[in-house]
Amino acid sequence: MMTMLMTLGQDEEAFGHFGATGSYALAAQRAMHEFNTGPETWKHIAVGQRKWANLNPVAMTYNRNMTYDDYMNARWLVEPFRLFDNCLVSDGGRAYIVTTAERARDLKQDPVLIAGLGQHNPAGYPQSATYLAGPTGAKVAGEAAFRMADITRDDIDACQIYDCFTYTVEITLQDYGFFKPGEGADWFQGGTIEPGGRMPVNTSGGQLSEAYFMGLTPITEGVMQLMGRCGERQLGPQTGTKEPEIILCSDNGGILQCNTTIILRRA
Amino acid sequence: MTMDTKPIPKINEDSRPFWEGCKAHELRFQKCNKCGHVRWPPAIICPECHAKDTTWITAAGHGRVYTYVVYHVAYHPGFKGELPYVVAIVELPEGPRIFTNIIGCGTDEVYCDMEVEVVWDDVTVELTLPKFRPVR
Repeated sequence: MMTMLMTLGQDEEAFGHFGATGSYALAAQRAMHEFNTGPETWKHIAVGQRKWANLNPVAMTYNRNMTYDDYMNARWLVEPFRLFDNCLVSDGGRAYIVTTAERARDLKQDPVLIAGLGQHNPAGYPQSATYLAGPTGAKVAGEAAFRMADITRDDIDACQIYDCFTYTVEITLQDYGFFKPGEGADWFQGGTIEPGGRMPVNTSGGQLSEAYFMGLTPITEGVMQLMGRCGERQLGPQTGTKEPEIILCSDNGGILQCNTTIILRRA
Repeated sequence: MTMDTKPIPKINEDSRPFWEGCKAHELRFQKCNKCGHVRWPPAIICPECHAKDTTWITAAGHGRVYTYVVYHVAYHPGFKGELPYVVAIVELPEGPRIFTNIIGCGTDEVYCDMEVEVVWDDVTVELTLPKFRPVR
């Protein structure tokens, strides 16, 4: 772990700056300066995803509820991030199989189609980036993926967003255009992303509350939901949500430097 | 290096003039002779126009806090005694944005766009770190 922290860094360790939490916190702090965001927005993401995890028996936090007070009373790690703004640390694995649609028709499981893909990598080093408060790579990557899938944002039934931190979910959805900068404060209120909500997000609990499997946490959940293999947390009538036809998945790398967007569609 | 010794910069041929400058209490950066871009981190080519011809300039030593965070956890044992401390990206009027610490004020007094000035931390005879404090 120490080796990983040290090799991620350049010379900034000399100033006590290590790893991803500090760097994403720098981005989040700038965002708080430029538009209306902060813990009052992020608590909805942490608590909303935990509610999904409470329906997912393999989630690391399956038996642990979280209230807004739990979120706010948790200790600071790197301010403005508290404990529950951070993803989990997990051992384990995930896999999915990519093949042609033709070959997939003969397999035992119903396939899910990759309808659209987009990628954008706007900068190299976080300190030389001018987009720390957005737009991140999600904007251009998202537009490319929507174009390829020939859909609009209104066609999306659920999102599986790479969530290394709560803020990452907000800025990614904002850059996809689900709300304008700072309007997430209202958009997330009232259980928007939770079971029963109008735009379910990270329905396994995500990396904040299920398990951290890098980009595979969001993608495998998107695939499983469209296959209808998600048990108690299955999108549709039993969770008071729309039966999904199209799910948007994101992956994000570096410090918001890289984004890949994948649109999955029921076959 | 024992585990409770703070990490030091990995100085290489690209970055050596910057760190030599710090020892002399000067903030030195490469300026592209073709397009005028002042770059950080140091590199053999300009990230804007890819020209190689550069001149090292000395920055005035003033800037503003572009963004900052407050560490409440020591991810390295060398920083246990410093908690809580501020890590910031300071934007210099010459162009570069650099990682640094904001010192000389409370952690709750720092804000984005705060005016700051360089203060030199002579860690050893071989290493000086550029840190920043509020302009009073």
